[in-house]
Amino acid sequence: MTEIVNEQMEKEKHIRGLGAMILSRTLDKKIITAQRQGRVGFYTPTMGQEAAQVGLSMALDKDDLIYEYYRDVPMMLHRGVPIEIILNQVFGNRDDLAKGRQMPSHLVARDYNFMSVPSPVATNLPLAVGTAYAKVYRKEKGIVVASFGDGSTSTPDFHAAMNMAAVFNLPILFFCENNGWAISTPVEKQTKTEIWKKADAYGMVGMKADGNNLVEMYKTAQQAVEHVRSGKGPVLLEARCYRMGPHSTSDDPTKYQTDIVLDGSEKDPIVVSQNALKAIGLVNDQLIEKVRAESQRIVNEKFDQQEKIPPPDPETIFQDVYAKETWILREEREEIL
Amino acid sequence: MSNMNMVQALNSTLDMKMSKDDSIILLGEDIGKDGGVFRVTDGLQAKFGPERVIDTPLVELGIVGMAIGMAVYGMKPVPEIQFQDFIYTAMDQIINQMAKIRYRTGGKITVPLVLRTPYGGGIRGGLYHSQSGESYFVHTAGLTVVTPSNPYDARGLLSASLELGDPVIFLEPKRLYRAQKMEVPDNDYKVEIGKANLVHQGDSVTIVTYGSMVPTVASAVEKNGVDADVLDLRTLSPVDIDAISASVKKTGRVVIVHEAPRTLGMGAELSAMISERMIEYLYAPILRVTGPDTPFPYRLEEYYLPNEKRIMAAVNRVLEFR
Ligand SMILES: Cc1ncc(C[n+]2csc(CCOP(=O)(O)OP(=O)(O)O)c2C)c(N)n1
Ligand SMILES: [Mg+2]
Repeated sequence: MTEIVNEQMEKEKHIRGLGAMILSRTLDKKIITAQRQGRVGFYTPTMGQEAAQVGLSMALDKDDLIYEYYRDVPMMLHRGVPIEIILNQVFGNRDDLAKGRQMPSHLVARDYNFMSVPSPVATNLPLAVGTAYAKVYRKEKGIVVASFGDGSTSTPDFHAAMNMAAVFNLPILFFCENNGWAISTPVEKQTKTEIWKKADAYGMVGMKADGNNLVEMYKTAQQAVEHVRSGKGPVLLEARCYRMGPHSTSDDPTKYQTDIVLDGSEKDPIVVSQNALKAIGLVNDQLIEKVRAESQRIVNEKFDQQEKIPPPDPETIFQDVYAKETWILREEREEIL
Repeated sequence: MSNMNMVQALNSTLDMKMSKDDSIILLGEDIGKDGGVFRVTDGLQAKFGPERVIDTPLVELGIVGMAIGMAVYGMKPVPEIQFQDFIYTAMDQIINQMAKIRYRTGGKITVPLVLRTPYGGGIRGGLYHSQSGESYFVHTAGLTVVTPSNPYDARGLLSASLELGDPVIFLEPKRLYRAQKMEVPDNDYKVEIGKANLVHQGDSVTIVTYGSMVPTVASAVEKNGVDADVLDLRTLSPVDIDAISASVKKTGRVVIVHEAPRTLGMGAELSAMISERMIEYLYAPILRVTGPDTPFPYRLEEYYLPNEKRIMAAVNRVLEFR
C-alpha cells in the first residue's frame, strides 16, 4: 500500500516539476519581450536551466535553505515563491520585498528560504559555509544549497567556500549550473578540468548530472542531497545545461556564440523532459497543452496586474542602511527629498 | 580629427598605442571576441591577436595580480575590470602590491600599468553596477587616479597614463560613454596627469567636480547663468591644487559636486585642502552636493544622483551667504 502511495506521490512530483518548468519558461519569454518594449529595465533569462534547477528542487525539503543566484527563477517558482514576488522585483515597484533597490533578477524570498542575490558572483558561497555551520551548531534539520554558474568557479570565493566546507564537514550542496558560458567566455576557457572533479581536490564528493532531463536530474540530485543530509559532508553537484537566451538583455550573443539552443528544439530541456515523462507514461500532449495554456493565462494576468503598481516611496532610499537612521542620513534625506 | 564618443576615443587610443608599443597587453573578462561589455576593446583582439588581448577566467584578483606581474617585468598591461563594483576582491593586489612595490623596492621595481574600469550610476544598474569607489583608491598612497569627462580628455588622459610609469586607476564614467560626440585629434596628444580643466569661467563661485557630474554641473551653470568657475579635476590623485587655489582665491566661494557618497568622499579632502590653505579668502562655508551615504538604488536612481536642483540650491546658498 505505502509503495503505491509513494509511487503516486513521485508521479505527481514529476508532473508538478514539469509544470514549474513550463510556468518559468512562459514567464521568461514574457519578461524578455516586455524588456524589448521598454516595460522592464533588465533581465537575465533563465531558459535552458529549468530542468537542472527543478530537478534539484524536487529533491529538497522545506527546511533546506538556498543561497540562490540570479538565474534561479525556475527553482523559486517550484518551491512555491508566488509569481507576484518575482514580478514585483522585476518591476522594482512599491511591493517589491527589497523596495526596488536591486536590478531585476536579484531576488530575495526569505520566507521561502531564499537568501538573496548580490551581483558579484560567488560572493554568497562563503556565507553558505557560515550558515551551514550555524545550522549544525543549533542542531537544526535541513541542508544549505549554494548555486552558481560555471564562470563563478574561477573566483577566490568558490575556493574559500569549498575548502572550508570540506574542512568543517558541513551539510552544503554546492550546485553548479554549468550552462557552458560566462557571458562570452566558454567553459573550456574558464577551467582546464571538469567542474565536478574539482571536488576531489578539496576532499569532498563531486557528481555530474544531466541537467536537461528532469527525470535524470532528479535522480542524481536525490543521491547528492541524501549524502549531504546524512552528515557525510558537502557535495559539489555539477548540472550540465544550456543558456538558451543571451547572458542578459544587455548582451548580444551572436557576437561570440554560434550554437544557441532554440526554444522548442530537441535539445531544449523542456522538450527533453517532456519526452522523458511521456516515455514513462506520466504526461501526454493534452496535459502539456493544458499546462501551457494555464501558465500563459497566469503570466499575462499577473504581469499586467503587477506592472500597475507604482514605484517605491523615495523615502525608502534612506531606509535599511542601518537598523536606525543616523543623523547624517536624516540630513541627506531632508536635503534631497 | 574624428568625431567620436568616449568609447570610440578610448578604443582608438588603445589601438594607436598598441600599434606603436608591443609591450602593451590588454586583459580582462569578455574583452576579446565580445569587445568588452561596453565595447571599449571592440575589434582589438581581431587586430592584435589573443596573445595581446586576453580573455581571462572570471577572477578579478587574478586579472590584477597577473597584470602587476607583467608590469614589474617590463610590460605595460591594461587590465579591465568589467564594473568597478567587482574590483573589491582585487583590492589586496591593488593596495598591498600595485601601490607599494615601488616603495618596498626602493624604486628598483616599478608597476607601469593602467587599470581601466567603468564606474558610477545613471544606467539603472542598482547596488552593484553603479558604485563610485574613487575614494578607496585616492586614499591609497602610490596610486594615481584619473577620470575623464569627455572624449577628448579620455584619449589624452589614457595616452598620458600609459606613459606615466606608475600604476594608474583609470575610472571611466559609464554614463558618459555614449553621451557626447566631439571632434578629437587623431594624433598622440596628451592631457597632462594632475592638471584640472576650467570648463566654465566666472568670478563669483568655484564649483569643483569631475567625471559624470561635469556635464550636469556645466549645464546647470549655463541654464541658470551662474557666474562660476567650473573645474573638472580630471585627475583625482594628485589633485591640481594650483588650479583650485587660483580659482578659490578669486571667488571665495566653493561648491564641490560628486556622485560618490558624501562621507570621506573626494569632497571631504578637497574641502579640507581648501580650508587649510585659503580660509582667509573664503566668504562662505564650502558646500558639498553628493550622493547620499546609502547604497545605490535601482528604481529610484534619479533621486540618488546629484541634479540641477540640488546643485543650484547649494550654489545659491553659497552665493547668498553673508
Ligand atoms: C565578481 C564578478 N565579476 C564579474 C561580474 C560580471 N558578470 C556577471 S555574470 C558573469 C558571468 C557569470 O558566468 P557564470 O558564473 O557561468 O553564470 P551564468 O551567467 O552563465 O549563469 C560576469 C562575468 C560579476 N557579476 N561578478
Ligand atoms: Mg555559465
